[in-house]
Amino acid sequence: MPRLSMMDRFHAAVLAIGGSGLVCAYWIAFFHSDLTLPKFVHNVTNPDVVRLATVYMGFESAFPLADLLVAVTSALAAFYLVGRDAKAVLFGLVASGALGFLAFIDISFNLLHGLYAPANLLSDSGLQMEAVINVSCVVGATWSIWRLWSHPLRRAEDRASRLRAMETASLDAAGN
Amino acid sequence: MACFIAAVGIGLVVEAIARAFKLWSYRSPLFLVVNIVAVFGLIQGYGVGWIIGGHGALRGVFPVLFMVGAVLGILIEGLNQYWLHAWSWSDRPLFGISRAIDKSAFVGVAWGFAPLFTVLVARLIVKASMGV
Repeated sequence: MPRLSMMDRFHAAVLAIGGSGLVCAYWIAFFHSDLTLPKFVHNVTNPDVVRLATVYMGFESAFPLADLLVAVTSALAAFYLVGRDAKAVLFGLVASGALGFLAFIDISFNLLHGLYAPANLLSDSGLQMEAVINVSCVVGATWSIWRLWSHPLRRAEDRASRLRAMETASLDAAGN
Repeated sequence: MACFIAAVGIGLVVEAIARAFKLWSYRSPLFLVVNIVAVFGLIQGYGVGWIIGGHGALRGVFPVLFMVGAVLGILIEGLNQYWLHAWSWSDRPLFGISRAIDKSAFVGVAWGFAPLFTVLVARLIVKASMGV
């Protein structure tokens, strides 16, 4: 059984804090404060901006269910990584893939609606925070996938697959 | 307060079912009390249920309730599995799961239902107490 290295401990902390804790904190803040909202959503004078704010809020409100998958699989990946179990790789790859996918959807929306135009980005601290979150998600997901792909646990057999292999071998032996 | 009472009630039901089916056992009865009062009542009920879903419309908040409950549940199960050993699993399979580590992970995710049901039951308690 591979030992838990310092990098594995760091990886487990990133998955638990970044992938689970901060995602939960973001959504608690989203539903109970204005902390995560860009400034432009409070602009009620310009009808075009009001329309964009409505679309933006509708788009953002669709994310919690998808982020649930990221938060839970990240927590499971950290849980199994601490236990040096091969399932850490499975859940880690699911979590990282989902996180990267959601980050790219968010980036795509913000780019297509001009929210990441330099003038908007420089004047709105909420959008700056969103850009930092988007970049962190892409970098974190890429690093996690890269690391898990070359992790010794990826090649380690878990108990279930070992049992299946034994059953297949005994059936083959019985057949011969 | 309604969230705390509802969560403790759910905790009692869950522990009664677990005891009836001999799913897990506690190292000391004190841990059973701590689990029902502190983990179910204070953390999942008051902490998660009331803070996230205790006030305002529930629409849209359900995934967040499950998310936070499940993440905390996995943390609690992880702490028990690797360090505390306050409760241990019996040899009985749980929905076909036989390994202790997998049972902990499964139950950790299932903790997500605790704040969800807590909020629903708490709202029923509040409605009943107001005679609505």
